[in-house]
Amino acid sequence: MTAAVDHPLDRNEIRGLVRQDYVHRRAYADPEVFALEQERIFGRLWLYVAHESQLRAPGEFVRTRLAAHEVIVTRHQDGNIYVLHNRCPHRGARLCMVDRGRTRLFTCPYHAWVFRPDGTLSSVPHPQSYPANFDLSNPQNHMQRVKHVQSYRGFVFANLAEDPPPLTEHLGEMREVIDNLIERAPEGEIEIADSSFTLEYHGNWKLHMENANDIFHPSFVHSSSVAPARAAPANASILDEDQTREMLLANGFGVKEWEGIRLNGIAGGHTFMTSFYDKGVLANRTEDRVAQRYRAILAERLGAERAAAVLAMNRFNNIIYPNLLINAQYQQMRVTIPLAVDLTHIRVHCFRLKGAPDEMFHRAIRFLTTIGSPASMIFSDDVEMLERCQQGLITQAGPWVNFSRGLDSDRRDGNGSVGGAASELPMRVQFEAWVNYLTQ
Amino acid sequence: MTLPYETQREIELFLLREARLLDAGEFEAWLALYAPEGIYWMPSQPGQTDPKGVASIIYEDHAILAIRVRRLLEARALVLTPMPRATHLISNIEVAGGAADEFTAEAAFMCIEHQGDRQRLYAGRHTHHLIRHNGSFRIALKLVALANCDGRLAPMTIPI
Repeated sequence: MTAAVDHPLDRNEIRGLVRQDYVHRRAYADPEVFALEQERIFGRLWLYVAHESQLRAPGEFVRTRLAAHEVIVTRHQDGNIYVLHNRCPHRGARLCMVDRGRTRLFTCPYHAWVFRPDGTLSSVPHPQSYPANFDLSNPQNHMQRVKHVQSYRGFVFANLAEDPPPLTEHLGEMREVIDNLIERAPEGEIEIADSSFTLEYHGNWKLHMENANDIFHPSFVHSSSVAPARAAPANASILDEDQTREMLLANGFGVKEWEGIRLNGIAGGHTFMTSFYDKGVLANRTEDRVAQRYRAILAERLGAERAAAVLAMNRFNNIIYPNLLINAQYQQMRVTIPLAVDLTHIRVHCFRLKGAPDEMFHRAIRFLTTIGSPASMIFSDDVEMLERCQQGLITQAGPWVNFSRGLDSDRRDGNGSVGGAASELPMRVQFEAWVNYLTQ
Repeated sequence: MTLPYETQREIELFLLREARLLDAGEFEAWLALYAPEGIYWMPSQPGQTDPKGVASIIYEDHAILAIRVRRLLEARALVLTPMPRATHLISNIEVAGGAADEFTAEAAFMCIEHQGDRQRLYAGRHTHHLIRHNGSFRIALKLVALANCDGRLAPMTIPI
């Protein structure tokens, strides 16, 4: 698709792709840049792979992607979590063909090598035919382990680097959003929902991460769902207490509602929005009976003051670099999985707050459907634009992508930077980190 | 209960009419086939029975479908430019009667959706719960069991 460059990328070339207010189209369309991202970003940073609520009992496992690899995340009998390459060390066959399950042992169907959930080799059939020095305990005969696996409060991350910094260091103050999500559960525990979506689009992975912290596009991109939602009568639905219509309406905010919203970036490339609810931009249900019941339960567990503080957390679409997006208010999470320079999967999940009324979970599910489904009246238009960007960025014509909006009014703020709602600050922060990671 | 042939045929023709309205882009007429409390449901998991605790690709009643239809007819909908053209094939229809004037129809479907320079293929099974109304029927529930409902999916545009 893209004209291949005839020399390997050097650090200066990468630096040359990103200016203060522009990025070169090769960042999105050049397979060599993508290969470098896989090596130095997805191959070196902590990446979310599973939630511990999927791995409660020994033998429970989840199949997922880690950079270019397919991996199985398992809970072993020793209580530890392992991340294993989904590949039999004998002939290289893929071992596990389902996304989730529970098993005592993984058996390769080809020549029946049998592995424990920690990847060690349990047995091979007809052992007498193997040479005398064939050793079941030789790690070379085991499913290959990803060396670094760490959890932060139930969120399991893996890292392919030789000697990565601790996970908590990478997460930094982004831990707050995970903490907040968990504190919203009256029992102090969350569970990932069984159902999720995997959406595929023909575009670069970064386009989705940029779009998620862009306040400017909804009034244009989503006008075709805002207008019908505005024309529709309130409370007409018998299914969802108007939740869908309100969510569609929420994209209809304009300049007036923007005021007060802040876009934030911090070291490492993490970005998020704050002050989202100050002017009622998004429907923040506080008055209805379900929310009242939930607040009462939470206040009983945490005390009224603490519960109010937890629910008042006003950060939205928190993006943990490079590819994890968490929205605690609605218990939503997205994982962006790059497959090729122009092919990306987005996994969309939601969580159950343990101890909260079932209706709260039903709302999170409804949110997932309305915003995360392939047939979403919102997300489908976003994805259409991501694909059109990719289509436009394929050729050399006018190679620079502009992200200068807000450049003059952004300011440094402690550990990071902050800009107004219309700013493209998150994109600049992400690309600053991108250059740093790729040139390290 | 085996239905009289005439009733079976009437139901078949109703299903074909629904498909034709979708293919023709007559979404308002399509929506008019639904009862006021009628539901369109496309689950995200095979055999899914719970629409509340399990996410659905689409789970919408008449009021929300009406928003979707207006969006379909709204020129600015990005994902709908150019407007997709669909061809539905409805086959293997089996109908059964329930309570008075209530019927269930099961069918296999294929939907080929053509848009711009790409084609998408959807296949699976439809289940319709129909209620006799003014000499025809109204849809109380249309369940669209997409064969790849739990797979990776590209954005979807028009009802299937």
